[in-house]
Amino acid sequence: MKTTSLLLALTLLGNAGHALADRLDDIKKAGVLRVAAFDSNPPFGFLDAQTHQISGLDVEVAQAIAKKLQVKLELVATNPANRIPLLVAGKADLVAANFTVTDERKKQVDFSLPYFASGQQFIARKGSLSKPEQLAGLRVGVDKGTTQEIYLREKYSKTTVVAYDDTPLAFTALRNGNVQAISQDGSKLAALLANAPDKAKYELAPFTLTREYQAIGLPKGEARLSKAVNDTLVELEKSGQARKIYDRWFGPKTKAPLPRDFKIGDAA
Amino acid sequence: MTPPSWLGQGWLAPHYLGWLLKGAAMTAALALCICLSATVLGVLLTAAQDSKQRWLQWPARLFCSLHRNSPLLVQVLLWYFGVGGLLPDQAMQWLNSPHQLQLPLGLSLSWPSFEWLAAWIALSLYSACFISGELAAGLRTVGSGQRLAGRALGMSEWQIFRFVVLPQALRHIRQPLLGQYTAIIKNTSLTMAIGVAELSYTSRQVESETLLAFQAFAVATLLYLLLVVLTQVIGSQRRPGVKAP
Repeated sequence: MKTTSLLLALTLLGNAGHALADRLDDIKKAGVLRVAAFDSNPPFGFLDAQTHQISGLDVEVAQAIAKKLQVKLELVATNPANRIPLLVAGKADLVAANFTVTDERKKQVDFSLPYFASGQQFIARKGSLSKPEQLAGLRVGVDKGTTQEIYLREKYSKTTVVAYDDTPLAFTALRNGNVQAISQDGSKLAALLANAPDKAKYELAPFTLTREYQAIGLPKGEARLSKAVNDTLVELEKSGQARKIYDRWFGPKTKAPLPRDFKIGDAA
Repeated sequence: MTPPSWLGQGWLAPHYLGWLLKGAAMTAALALCICLSATVLGVLLTAAQDSKQRWLQWPARLFCSLHRNSPLLVQVLLWYFGVGGLLPDQAMQWLNSPHQLQLPLGLSLSWPSFEWLAAWIALSLYSACFISGELAAGLRTVGSGQRLAGRALGMSEWQIFRFVVLPQALRHIRQPLLGQYTAIIKNTSLTMAIGVAELSYTSRQVESETLLAFQAFAVATLLYLLLVVLTQVIGSQRRPGVKAP
């Protein structure tokens, strides 16, 4: 009882102006968990052509959290740049959209334990890009508002960065010849390449710039919701469910295999 | 000066203001080029729609209704991704690599990026149709007696249009035309969808780096306001020989 009132006091302090109740209580009361997910970023979140539902790795993690909280899952489609605004404005309770943990973002939102790790990689025409030094003087397409865009602009001043609304558009620009390479998470690029009709012409460049961790984004100061999300993630790993989800989208049998070198709970 | 607490993390660093100003300069340059080309094209479209020649009239009408009845963003995407995808590889390679046009006196002019070209073409075509609409309305304000007088003097159709009708029409449509130029300035923001580094694009960049959403977009709003007011001021100057409406 004491801890609850203390927590309540803390949330009140942290969220002056927000609803008085704790977000976890709000979710349970409404019986609905609203999660912002991608609808055009396979395999994390995308519209499945057969079922016309948003599905993907992120969506399965969101489903597991909703199941644990015993509420219905409602997906809110988002693009990379809208993730934080949706959360801050209270239009979504969680973000499960390939959301990379950064210090800058931590000022605005809270993050769960990472449930996925990746690195910034590139797709270019076969044989045209083999080491980072070659990025100087190239035009590289990125997604607006992503860590890849920021990193390239800060660290590779000789590279011309062109930002597009999403990765498929950036890939179109690459295929049209507007840019010579595009940059995103390796995992996302592998999936994108797998679906390309002319994939024989392109390849994932054989180097990784950074190590990045993806986690669930939460509104600031919702300790109980954070705990519920983290408990779910740890359980997923323990029960072997996390590996199953991973293998469904990146396993050896998939079109874009990517070895799993990160487990939930590994030190980030 | 300390920022008020409701502003969250405080002011934008000067470095980011510089980004926004650069974006505003890009917006101004792009809008200026579009205004010029769209006006010329608008006059030609109006002349074509106004002419007695069927083969001139219909294509011009069709062209205008095509543009008037489709969203600008789709036009921008069509030119950049669509037309860009249809061009042969060599052409795209050339268009997307930096070029210098060597001018006399040792000056050089760099060829604009393909993003910029696509934005310019799409917005010029689109805006020309609206400008042509304003011009047509202006033409209707010129009495038919004026044309008859021109004919009586033995002027050709084109001469009548160029020396009698157009100057009078222009006088009537100055304000609506300024309105169109204002719209052009605001419409350039849509080109951020194809990576033109104009003001909206840079404000989005500043927002994604600093996460100061309110500050980034508020400053961008003020800069747009400044550009529009500037346009109005320049456009409302009284020119010699033209009576203010």
